[in-house]
Amino acid sequence: MLNLLKTSSLLIRNEVNLINSQIGALFHTSTVVDAKNSNAGHSNKPKRFLRQNKKIFEPQLPDETPRPAFVCHQKENIRYSPKKMWYIAAFVRGMTVDEAVKQLSFQLKKGAAAVKETLLEAQEIAVKQHNVEFKSNLWISESFVGKGVVFKGIRRHAKGRMGRVEYKHCHYFVKLEEGTPPEHYYLPYPKTPEQQLDDWMSQMRKRKITNSL
Amino acid sequence: MSKLALSFSNGIKFLQIPNYSFLSVTPIVLPTLQCRHRINNRHWDPKWKKLRGQKFIKMEIPNLHEDLNELSPEERRSKMKKRGIAPPRPYMERPFYISSTGGIFEPYVPPEGDGKVSSVKGVIKEKAEFVEKKGKSWTAIRKIRSYDEDFESKEFAEQAQDIYIKAHEALVEKNKHKLRELVTERAYPEMMHNIKNKTLRWKFVKSLEPPKIIHARCTEMITKENVFGQITVRFHTQQTLAVYDRFGRLMHGSEIIAKDVLEYVVFEKHLANLYGVWKLHDKIIPDWMEKREPRALTYVVEEEIAPEKKEEVQEKKVEVAVTQ
Repeated sequence: MLNLLKTSSLLIRNEVNLINSQIGALFHTSTVVDAKNSNAGHSNKPKRFLRQNKKIFEPQLPDETPRPAFVCHQKENIRYSPKKMWYIAAFVRGMTVDEAVKQLSFQLKKGAAAVKETLLEAQEIAVKQHNVEFKSNLWISESFVGKGVVFKGIRRHAKGRMGRVEYKHCHYFVKLEEGTPPEHYYLPYPKTPEQQLDDWMSQMRKRKITNSL
Repeated sequence: MSKLALSFSNGIKFLQIPNYSFLSVTPIVLPTLQCRHRINNRHWDPKWKKLRGQKFIKMEIPNLHEDLNELSPEERRSKMKKRGIAPPRPYMERPFYISSTGGIFEPYVPPEGDGKVSSVKGVIKEKAEFVEKKGKSWTAIRKIRSYDEDFESKEFAEQAQDIYIKAHEALVEKNKHKLRELVTERAYPEMMHNIKNKTLRWKFVKSLEPPKIIHARCTEMITKENVFGQITVRFHTQQTLAVYDRFGRLMHGSEIIAKDVLEYVVFEKHLANLYGVWKLHDKIIPDWMEKREPRALTYVVEEEIAPEKKEEVQEKKVEVAVTQ
């Protein structure tokens, strides 16, 4: 082998490849990811939200109720206005994933497609990486929008004036939690008829009749 | 109808529903869509729309989700040329690790049923024969001793167990730097595989039988002086293992129940290297070992590539062959 290697400069390319393959069989070889290529260009993507996925919780005792799993996922720089996206993000809150996907496929809004895609991706990540057993046993516990890159353009106005046009992008963030969704998502929860009656009764009894005993 | 006419003539501005007799023609009720129509506020002549559009100065918004890898090479080239980016340097080099080998040489074949208690004495004798003063293993040990004068096979078994325990403790701690010192480059990815996001609880309880060397080999790599030594050690121990997921829920094993573990662990040393140390290299898994328990969770088996596609690929190849 040494002789072969020493004379490698004389060998034609095919033979060098042959030797390489032979060495590969003997030694432990692995591909080294090129640092320059992997970090090509700096990214201005939001990072903080996905950091939640890295938190590792303390092991639980057998008698404790198991913690529900959760996954955070995001989609950056969707070519859509964050203001318009808010409607879709808020619409989806507190739904199960299946229900949200079903509803979103009938939403006639551009952002709905991006949100649906994000939800399905998050669901897959939950099952593959975060030990979630059933993929439909997930609900949307957080869903919100961030402002992405804004490109500025110009438009003409009358009398030689001009205006600025903003071509906006948005980020969409979603957190899926394992389990069934709560009955009401927003606080304060709506009062039951009994509670309403009680409130009314107490209000009535509290009344003060002026100049009375 | 007469009433309606009257009401108009009186100047009253509301409609009265006329009474239809049986003979009169009833009006056809057309089904009407119940929806709100947008009031068209735009000019009827479409030329203004175009002119309104011209008020905006056209600019190209870059596609932020563009993946250059998906484009064809020509398109990629033209795009990069347009933006003035130099093409990436093609890396033709292939990295080699010369400080460890890529496998086990002449691996030890464990006898079937080793580690199980048997009433027949003869069977026990056949099992796991330890290295004696003969055979290939003995010559290999002598060669190891020629490089490492302090090598003692009895002491080494203890030392190997120490390395084994330390390596596993480093793994539990997820101490990468410490693990790299105890484990060869080949074993490192195998040990680190699948422990991301998990909490491990591992304990070495005791060894049921003292660790023993059962196999040794020396191999040369490229040159004659470049020698690697490999020693297989048999461990019969008791251990506990519990694996928790990211949320602290038990995935596998138990922290209380100790299990008997029989292992054939291969240790390697780069003998030619003056500063070489014994490192955990591999584990021999015999063919007769029982299959592992499947994981407790329900999971979807990923679909394999459909046989139709494979056939298509084959057909294509055949076509190429014919055309050539």
